[in-house]
Amino acid sequence: MIRREIPMWLFLALAIGGVVVLLVSYELLSARQTRINPKQTTIPSFAKLSEGLQKIFQPQGTEENPKPPMFWNDMRATLWRLMVGLGIGVSASIAIGVLMGAYRWIEAPLSPIVMFLSKIPPTAMMPIYFAVAGTDQRMFTSMVALGIFFSMAQSIYQAVRDNVSDESINKAYTLGASEMEVIYEVIWKQILPNVIDCVRMQIGPAMIFLIAAEMVVSDAGLGYQIRMQSRVLNMNIVFVYLVILGIIGLIAEFGLVRLRRWLCPWFEEGAR
Amino acid sequence: MRRTFTSSRSLVATFMMGIAVFGIATLGCGDSKSPAKSGTANSGTTGGGSTATAPPAKFTLAWSEYPSWSIFGVADEVGLIDGKAGAMGSIEKKYNIDIELLLASYDQCITLYGNSQADAVCITNIDILGAAGSRNSVAIMPTSTSAGADACITAGIKSIDELAGKPTRGLEKSVSQYCFERCLEKLGKNPADFPFSQMDPEQAAQAFQGKDEKIPSIMVWNPFVMQSVRSRNDAHVLFSSESIPEEIIDMVVVGKDSLGKKGGSDFAKAVVETFYAMNQRMNDEKTRDATLVGIGARFAKLELEDMKTVVTQTRFYSDPKDAVRLFTEEKFQKETMLLVSKFCVKYGLTQAPVELSFGTGKGVMDFDTTFLKEYLEQPKK
Repeated sequence: MIRREIPMWLFLALAIGGVVVLLVSYELLSARQTRINPKQTTIPSFAKLSEGLQKIFQPQGTEENPKPPMFWNDMRATLWRLMVGLGIGVSASIAIGVLMGAYRWIEAPLSPIVMFLSKIPPTAMMPIYFAVAGTDQRMFTSMVALGIFFSMAQSIYQAVRDNVSDESINKAYTLGASEMEVIYEVIWKQILPNVIDCVRMQIGPAMIFLIAAEMVVSDAGLGYQIRMQSRVLNMNIVFVYLVILGIIGLIAEFGLVRLRRWLCPWFEEGAR
Repeated sequence: MRRTFTSSRSLVATFMMGIAVFGIATLGCGDSKSPAKSGTANSGTTGGGSTATAPPAKFTLAWSEYPSWSIFGVADEVGLIDGKAGAMGSIEKKYNIDIELLLASYDQCITLYGNSQADAVCITNIDILGAAGSRNSVAIMPTSTSAGADACITAGIKSIDELAGKPTRGLEKSVSQYCFERCLEKLGKNPADFPFSQMDPEQAAQAFQGKDEKIPSIMVWNPFVMQSVRSRNDAHVLFSSESIPEEIIDMVVVGKDSLGKKGGSDFAKAVVETFYAMNQRMNDEKTRDATLVGIGARFAKLELEDMKTVVTQTRFYSDPKDAVRLFTEEKFQKETMLLVSKFCVKYGLTQAPVELSFGTGKGVMDFDTTFLKEYLEQPKK
């Protein structure tokens, strides 16, 4: 029957079993490939993957010109780009989204533009960013920021319109709140969980175009390293980097959900 | 909201536990690594007389758009070979093999070949050493050499000394970086004084052409060299692969495993014959321009006049004797490939120097002139 409960122990056993089956079949596939070509690097075994894991923490460069291990170098570059871009993009879209939701005379001129631009895939606009914003930090920042800005501004604006009732705004006015107080105390506080969810949803797309851009124009970063290592067929390093990307995504997801629970304990998923 | 939270947490937990269970399991039976040999059983069964009625063996050749490789695309157009699987051109029929042409970007070609998704690949003598680390390889022929097709182009920098300390953008761990360092060495400079940083050649060329002030110097290959020089009045070729003649070699390489398959050597012969049949068309007055136009259509959409320049900067080995000379001469075997090998180790393309051999088939990377010589011995029409 659909949605029939199964015992907790069975659920857990099946969940663990799924992961184990995935890992075992991966290792078997790797062993099979190795039997066909002993030198294959396409599907590295777990032993090869752990070699790759060690390699990314080894110091790079020559003795007279030492460089940090590639992992730290790439993480620093990618996370810095992501954080600055997200920071600017999120703050700008909050400001514009809230204003659009609050004032009809801001909504009217901006909403068609925002709605249209939010539909253009940011990766398709990459050549424009390269041409207009150069190829350094400024380019990555503007790309991530603008890439998430339009769709986030659109969702925040809709959250303000749909989730903040006229009654609560009128109540605040009745109690003598100023316009700024209504925006901060009523609107902002009510949409905060939506904003956090929006950020959570936008990290994925932001990573997509950041990695894509790094593959093309960067000399450090996760995208850069994935391209270079796959070019020299070090798939064990590529796979380790993919796992790292997965972990970054999990941490971000987990952290933001926690943040929302901590900041907005009143918010329930089902209540929307 | 609570539900998402707990479920995401429990998912992470089960994932970790799964990994733990797997770890314990592999530790417990860690030495079961040598699986029984079962792959050998079916390799000999398909043998038998290679009569013309036998179904043709299928081979894939991965190529990217480059003057001496786009030739294979044109050969498909004129019917010498048919690049689609299941269809055969005249040369394919002669050898009773089916060649499938895979067109991809250069980097993708390396990945396709290194990961055994293609039997053969068009690749340079630098990148192949990295790929040979994952797959034993045989170079069956050189197709061309770079004589100006890789160049360092600058704006506002008139001499090599002025370039010191200023960033040059280009593809790391590639022909570009090799050429950059070798030219500097030849000019008596220390490459360590000349920073080289990563950027896709196409993007670097575009940024340079767009007069990006942060990109005063680029090291790229054709067609970007030609386009970049033309795009700005202040663009200047500081040095190019002309200074290192016959060091950057474009080749066709076949996996040793594929060459050992049934029909493998016929495939190699067919590739060699196709290349020289196309070269004859290029050298023949009547078909020369049409062939160049065909190559140009498959190389950055260049027109006839541009193609005439391109083929001077990418010198074809249009004479098989010349190709044999290159692979067998001491300079290539003892000097060039050692320099290339050192470069590959320095930049981590390979962990250790790749074991090279020249026609003996002993090395991980073999340069074999057998198929060229067989082509030369063929009775000519």
